[in-house]
Amino acid sequence: MRGTRRVARHRGAGRWNAGAHGNGPGWTSFLSLMPLLLIAGLALPSAADAQDVENGQRLYERWCAECHGAEGEGDGPAASRMLPRPRDFTEARYQIRTTASGNLPTTGDIMRAIEHGLPGTTMPGWPNLNRSQQRDLTAYLKSLSPFFERLGPPDSLSFESPPGGGEEALESGRQVYTKLECDRCHGSAGRGDGPSAPTLTDWRDQPVRAADLTQPWLFNGGSSVEEIHRRFLTGLDGTPMPTQADALNAGVVDSAQLWDLAYYVRSLAPERVPPPGRNVVRVERIADDEELPAGPGADAWDDVDRYWFPMAGQVLERPRQFEPMVDGVWVEGVHDGSEIALRVSWNDPSQSPDSAWMQWQRRVAGALYADGTPWPTDSLPDRLAVQFPTEIPEGRERPYFLMGSAQKPVYLWRWNSRDGIRESTATGLGTAGPLPESRLQGQATWSAGQWSVVFRRSLEGEGQRISLESGVAVPVAFYAWDGNNAETGKRAAVSSWYFVVLEVPTGNEVYVAPAAVVLLVAGFGVFMVRSARQGETGGGAGDDGSGA
Amino acid sequence: MSGPERVREWVGHPFWATALVLVLAYAAIRFGIPHVPPLFGVASAPVPSSVVLQYMLSVFLALMLYVSANEERWERFREPIRVLLVEPDLGWLRVAVLVAAMAITGWLTYTNVRPSYGAPAALRSIHPAPPDQIQFEGETLRLSRLQNPLREEGDLQEHYERGAEIYAENCVPCHGDRLDGQGHFANAFNPAPLDLTSGGNLPQLSESFVFWRIAKGGPGLPPEGTPWNSAMPAWEGVLSQREIWSVIVYLYEQTGFTPRSTEGHGGGEAGSSGSAAEGTS
Repeated sequence: MRGTRRVARHRGAGRWNAGAHGNGPGWTSFLSLMPLLLIAGLALPSAADAQDVENGQRLYERWCAECHGAEGEGDGPAASRMLPRPRDFTEARYQIRTTASGNLPTTGDIMRAIEHGLPGTTMPGWPNLNRSQQRDLTAYLKSLSPFFERLGPPDSLSFESPPGGGEEALESGRQVYTKLECDRCHGSAGRGDGPSAPTLTDWRDQPVRAADLTQPWLFNGGSSVEEIHRRFLTGLDGTPMPTQADALNAGVVDSAQLWDLAYYVRSLAPERVPPPGRNVVRVERIADDEELPAGPGADAWDDVDRYWFPMAGQVLERPRQFEPMVDGVWVEGVHDGSEIALRVSWNDPSQSPDSAWMQWQRRVAGALYADGTPWPTDSLPDRLAVQFPTEIPEGRERPYFLMGSAQKPVYLWRWNSRDGIRESTATGLGTAGPLPESRLQGQATWSAGQWSVVFRRSLEGEGQRISLESGVAVPVAFYAWDGNNAETGKRAAVSSWYFVVLEVPTGNEVYVAPAAVVLLVAGFGVFMVRSARQGETGGGAGDDGSGA
Repeated sequence: MSGPERVREWVGHPFWATALVLVLAYAAIRFGIPHVPPLFGVASAPVPSSVVLQYMLSVFLALMLYVSANEERWERFREPIRVLLVEPDLGWLRVAVLVAAMAITGWLTYTNVRPSYGAPAALRSIHPAPPDQIQFEGETLRLSRLQNPLREEGDLQEHYERGAEIYAENCVPCHGDRLDGQGHFANAFNPAPLDLTSGGNLPQLSESFVFWRIAKGGPGLPPEGTPWNSAMPAWEGVLSQREIWSVIVYLYEQTGFTPRSTEGHGGGEAGSSGSAAEGTS
């Protein structure tokens, strides 16, 4: 599955707005030179290969202009629904480069971005364009800014090959992470929840997230240790993520320590994207002498298999959510034959309602809901909903995946950070109403940018409360709202239908049938050999054991 | 006896020839068939195991008919089996074959009776037959007669540009900038958004069919299309008829496909009717 392009966000982040360190010198000098360069650039017409540029322009108008705009200013019709916004090519400010901060990208840098896209943003890769098309397109993009002509081809930095990592490197990297104050934006556990995270804005004054380092498949410039290390040396221009070249030059860290940091950052996440295709949560049956885990932090969860379900913005019904904060949930479940405990965990940098994140909420709403749709200004809680049908479906038909319909309602386990846990039913998006006398229990914790909610309920249901039978696949879906990302009502992250199945206690009866079959085969084989020997002319009556 | 001769003798022997044909048939059915649809630009899928079993049974029966049709051939066919069962020197082989047969049947039985935790199988028709007529904001539209009015009216380039804009504003998150169903929200939805660049989709569909799908979306699918799962919105009430038609112009222009002709019954029939196993793509 191509799981690397997800919701547009997760720009890198640093201290650009935090004030502690200010801008790197390379960046500042570039900015101050800009007016001068602009005038010089306008005075001289472009001399690039006109044919290439023309071909590139045709491709651009066909495939790129809807986001990046007819004039390349990043203001196409789709742009206002994207965060971060599409690149403005007239500014020639490129985020992913192999050149020093404040410099132009090389032709290869632009071509790489076209080929692979920018993971974690709405920019896809374009491997369907061949090399010469990509080259033409690059020529056209460069022609949109006078800087390329004026400044000439930039020099790539020289990059060392990675030294190898190891336990010591990780420990050293952990210290460098604190020393360089990475945690101010990226948070102590790397989930993009640092104290400066809610203040971050990019070059257009749009809100930009500190990258969630535990989800490297969303890293704009790639997730290998080499690529992470390169971002340290080049910075992510246009975002608050500064280059660490200054720290290196000033002797705050040495070159080896920067590699340690890269290994440490990579170690914050699993090696690969969560595997796709696991669409059934297997709810483990605990032993009779064990107890169900009491809360989200119980050690017992460590041994339980985790399932990842990706989520997307609710864009079917209005008002729509084009840039949800939550992009997936981890789900684990156990049961003891009479009760189920389901743990749902997801990354959310704010423990809403959090006053420190109100400025973020205002900016996101201003950036995304500028089309006049109403947006919330008050403080909102974080919310989660686990959705089931009201009964196990006969056949394959299920309620409509978006909170059901009047004919087929859904049953919900809801939680919100203000009111806790309750049971509800719904007959469509935005219609959820609580059931009387909730039989659902649970607990929630927020720690270092991650919510974890445990729901507990008896397996036996009643009325619209579905009964969960062992061995029966029960449809399940998930919803999440980040209050401080201005998400409420229909503005939510949603998932498709998946399934939960409770493990059946396996008795010895599963071995009876195989044993009987084995004995039968043995008896038949012996009988065949006997009768063949006795009759010599009789031969085999079947091809069993023929060795074919 | 030299190597090639020995091979020729083996292949000529009815028993070993039968075994060889069975192996080759299995390989062709299991691994060969999935390579055929791409030759015609249609998406491929693995052959279901029930179909493999059916084909293999047919092949086996045909081989048995052939082998037993001739007395001498039948005797030769049975010879290796007889040798295995009675030859005194081959006692070790007899035991080995018997133990292997016991192990295999035992394991197969076990995998059948042990509890499994898979999703229930659910087939889904990707392009189900459309209704004869639909209501669009109170207006009755007969799909079999419905034509794209923009093809006859005004400047096609303008319609294309308007369609491109609407596509970018509304469709990109799921169907993607490349129109290949790989938008940045795509992996959250099951079934996955339709790949509009596949030869099995747009070129097999009439414009009226595409209009119906856009106007009525997932909720408007018949049960065989699993409407409860589809994340395709119904665009009626959001986009006007003209806007939907301009998106359709854009889709065909951008992918370079031509719509299936709506002459005769074409418009009222399902384009291509395929089914796909439900599961994350």
